[in-house]
Amino acid sequence: MTDSKYFTTTKKGEIFELKSELNSEKKEKKREAVKKVIASMTVGKDVSALFPDVVNCMQTDNLELKKLVYLYLMNYAKSQPDMAIMAVNTFVKDCEDPNPLIRALAVRTMGCIRVDKITEYLCEPLRKCLKDEDPYVRKTAAVCVAKLHDINASLVEDQGFLDQLKELLSDSNPMVVANAVAALSEINEASSSGVPLVEMNTQTINKLLTALNECTEWGQVFILDSISNYSPKDEREAQSICERITPRLAHANAAVVLSAVKVLMKLMEMMAPDADFVVNLSKKLAPPLVTLLSSEPEVQYVALRNINLIVQKRPDILKNEMKVFFVKYNDPIYVKLEKLDIMIRLANQSNIAQVLSELKEYATEVDVDFVRKAVRAIGRCAIKVEPSAERCVSTLLDLIQTKVNYVVQEAIVVIKDIFRKYPNRYESIISTLCENLDTLDEPEARGSMIWIIGEYAERIDNADELLESFLEGFQDESTQVQLQLLTAIVKLFLKRPADTQELVQQVLTLATQDSDNPDLRDRGFIYWRLLSTDPAAAREVVLADKPLISEETDLLEPSLLDELVCHIASLASVYHKPPSAFVEGRGLGSSRRALPTRSGSQDILESSPSHGERSGVIPTQESLIGDLLTMDLGGPPVPSSVPAAPFASSGLDLLSGGLDGLLSDSPSVPPPQAAPAPSVGLLGDIFGLAPSASTSYVAPKQMWLPAARGKGLEITGTFSRRNGQIQMEMTMTNRAMQPMMQFAVQLNKNSFGLVPAAPLHVVSPLAPNQSYEAVLPLNPTGPVQRMEPLTNLQVAIKNNIDVFYFAVVMPMNIFFAEDGQMDKRVFLSTWKDIPAANEVQYTINNVNMSADAVSSKMQQNNVFTIAKRNVEGQDMLYQSLKLVNGIWILSELKMQPGNPTLILAVKTRAPDVSAGVNTAFDAILHS
Amino acid sequence: MGGLLSYFRSLIGSREMRILILGLDGAGKTTILYRLQVGEVVTTIPTIGFNVEQVTYKNLKFQVWDLGGQTSIRPYWRCYYSNTDAIIYVVDSVDKDRIGISKQELVSMLEEEELKGAILAVLANKQDMEGAMSVAEVHQALGLDLLRNRTFQIFKTSAIKGEGLDQAMDWLSNALQSRK
Repeated sequence: MTDSKYFTTTKKGEIFELKSELNSEKKEKKREAVKKVIASMTVGKDVSALFPDVVNCMQTDNLELKKLVYLYLMNYAKSQPDMAIMAVNTFVKDCEDPNPLIRALAVRTMGCIRVDKITEYLCEPLRKCLKDEDPYVRKTAAVCVAKLHDINASLVEDQGFLDQLKELLSDSNPMVVANAVAALSEINEASSSGVPLVEMNTQTINKLLTALNECTEWGQVFILDSISNYSPKDEREAQSICERITPRLAHANAAVVLSAVKVLMKLMEMMAPDADFVVNLSKKLAPPLVTLLSSEPEVQYVALRNINLIVQKRPDILKNEMKVFFVKYNDPIYVKLEKLDIMIRLANQSNIAQVLSELKEYATEVDVDFVRKAVRAIGRCAIKVEPSAERCVSTLLDLIQTKVNYVVQEAIVVIKDIFRKYPNRYESIISTLCENLDTLDEPEARGSMIWIIGEYAERIDNADELLESFLEGFQDESTQVQLQLLTAIVKLFLKRPADTQELVQQVLTLATQDSDNPDLRDRGFIYWRLLSTDPAAAREVVLADKPLISEETDLLEPSLLDELVCHIASLASVYHKPPSAFVEGRGLGSSRRALPTRSGSQDILESSPSHGERSGVIPTQESLIGDLLTMDLGGPPVPSSVPAAPFASSGLDLLSGGLDGLLSDSPSVPPPQAAPAPSVGLLGDIFGLAPSASTSYVAPKQMWLPAARGKGLEITGTFSRRNGQIQMEMTMTNRAMQPMMQFAVQLNKNSFGLVPAAPLHVVSPLAPNQSYEAVLPLNPTGPVQRMEPLTNLQVAIKNNIDVFYFAVVMPMNIFFAEDGQMDKRVFLSTWKDIPAANEVQYTINNVNMSADAVSSKMQQNNVFTIAKRNVEGQDMLYQSLKLVNGIWILSELKMQPGNPTLILAVKTRAPDVSAGVNTAFDAILHS
Repeated sequence: MGGLLSYFRSLIGSREMRILILGLDGAGKTTILYRLQVGEVVTTIPTIGFNVEQVTYKNLKFQVWDLGGQTSIRPYWRCYYSNTDAIIYVVDSVDKDRIGISKQELVSMLEEEELKGAILAVLANKQDMEGAMSVAEVHQALGLDLLRNRTFQIFKTSAIKGEGLDQAMDWLSNALQSRK
């Protein structure tokens, strides 16, 4: 035998063989050949060279052969884009085949062929299939539209496919509806403009809800997902959607359940948190979530990741279900860790005993990762549930006694945090900790231990010896430990200067001269200079009081949490990352989803902390920044006379530059009234009236900018109208470690044209933990831009740290002008003139005042009683008011003595303001 | 004897003849194909790709490929040349402007090695229309005089009216059978 045989069978031979078989006249042989080709394709051999020959087998009455050829086409059309055109005619023919299976097969394959050149030829057949008599074909065609949109969006729009899809939403077949809605939401998400191409309305949602009950489980998921993108117009509609969706929670498919949960979570945002409906719904949400935890571990994990979000957003839902999150011995580790996380979040005073005994159990398991997390969890419990801190600490001490290396190390790391949270309570255990000094080998544990020694050096007799022992191996420690050691020794020196001078010299030398790490060197130099120039200052810096640590450090940032809640039941909720972070080709701004907010603005006047925080979440920050940048940055005193911003917008630099310039214009010496330490009473001093004596209604201050979002700057505020002047009253508190200065403010264009009448004055610098009551007079003379809601105001506050943006809702009553009294006759004729359609009725509950008291109270707020009548035992008050922009509002208040419910009828030529007026009335009457 | 002959005939008949219908776009290829297959005029749209049908004519089975005539598709005609027994080349007799292009396509096609033995039937189609070139004119314009070593014939046809197609098919089946 010669070796030549190895060269005779080449790859080309195989392809060649297949080629001739494909061109065979015998159908049987042909089919076999296509099967061989597909087999080669599936194992990864390149059979694209056979493209023309396979395509030639396409026109056959054999369904099996046709399917195989279609499969081949989907795979290789992209690699042979020119040749793919030869398949077009067959698609066209197959879309008219009498067999609906073939029609659907053709339209499905067409959608999968991503070749630009042939898409235009496929529009006609697609159009026919969208109107096909067979629902199977229609539902396949609906998905094909979404695929086509992905290839060529403008083509889909030009050809009117979107309208056809919308028509399919009212199809008689629920599966067609489900696929149409899935296609539409896909298209919406891909839309580059960020503006949804297809808006849902009440009718479509109703159709979807009807189809929901009849279609397959995956169809239900599509429908639920698109309902979740819809914002109902009012609370009532939200409730009715909730009611119709709630039965889905009992579905066997986890995806359906989670999608239903998502919709409910979103819609609940629109309702008052303490409403009966929400309470009942919360109760209904718990059982399905618990049921998910009895499925296989992978599903459990997905459920747990989602539950983690739900628990952070609405802790009430699962507050009584702690037990289901207890770890089972045979749970996989990923489920165990996730359950632990949720246990901590649910821990409270009532269940802490149970949780602790569980955690203690876990800490003795064999899995190292799990044990570590369990130990950490005990520490977190101590920090979260204050009354149980004692027990947690003693549990930790028990664990330290076990002397298991990694348990001890984790325990020390968390005890450090407990010390921070509860200063001067548990320091007695330091000696126990010190016993374990030698066993610590992980940087984090060593660093924590060193921090403890340095922090409590005065209580540890041999602190210098201990630290010295660490110093011996200074060069080999990780940076974290080196930094800690440096700080700890400096602390020790400041506390016991007499006998540790040598030690501090040594560590400073090591840090500054023998280290390559710039962080370490810098810190070393700072300490060195501090110590050499002013030891007293060094003392103040190094031994300064530390701010309290927050209770839960691992909570998601609220705006991220809100966005993730909108993505429950998707990969985003498992990753805990917004889709834009891991899906390619998503525009950053385009697909951000935000939770709906409640429309009734009277709620905004209630100072519930959670709601106050929400008012600070601006859904479209990008656009806001854009708006603010184009704003006029000129001097605030005469804003209307300054021409519109001439800057070629060059980003944030410009803004800060402009604000800086603005600042240098303002007097650098603070006005005398700000010189004394600011206090709450200051405001009264300035205006000669204490806030309590203020006659017109001022809403309580709300959280506008939480410290977490303001990089330490916290702003609470409200609006007032005093002596005809609209004012923004803000309490600015510095929660950061460094002083803040150079404050300035800008307002975006708004519905009432409010602009600052003077620069914002804040005491400068605003020291850490200091508060300042800032009052910013506003004039309604600026450019007007209609906002939604009408009373929305977007604010930018700048300081030396950053620029912060937030949006607030202004109470309408600050716009009630002093000259709002109307002549009686004018009132009467105006009332008749305004069409009845403009009249809106509201009810105001719980007002226990006589008509006269109401009248005088309203008068203080520039609502003037024109006439009072008594009709059939009912008091009728006719009132007028005028907004600063000249809109007149007439109202009729109907009240029955003894009945706390008032009926308010508002009539105005600009009915848009009616709702705000009602809210203002409500607030004034309840003040 | 007669039984033997019919036996042979059936042997030959069992082999499907492969025929290509080619020509510029709008010449009437698809109409001709379906005229041959179902004997009726069907409404057609431009063929982006191909049609393939079984046509039985006088006991002979043909596998007839109708390829689209668009400029973008013409380059792919060559993928269909192998094992071809006959070519029906359709010319729009009214389209005098593009007869030159039609000629070029015909000439370059006939130069192909794979089509050396293929029989050629040229159909001067659309004879029913006003201003159609006569058979002689088409013959002239396509330069068929210069054709050597090729069994070929030109026919005047009207696919819409169904005229001339039978003659062409008669000639074609005879030529194919006598070639064997």
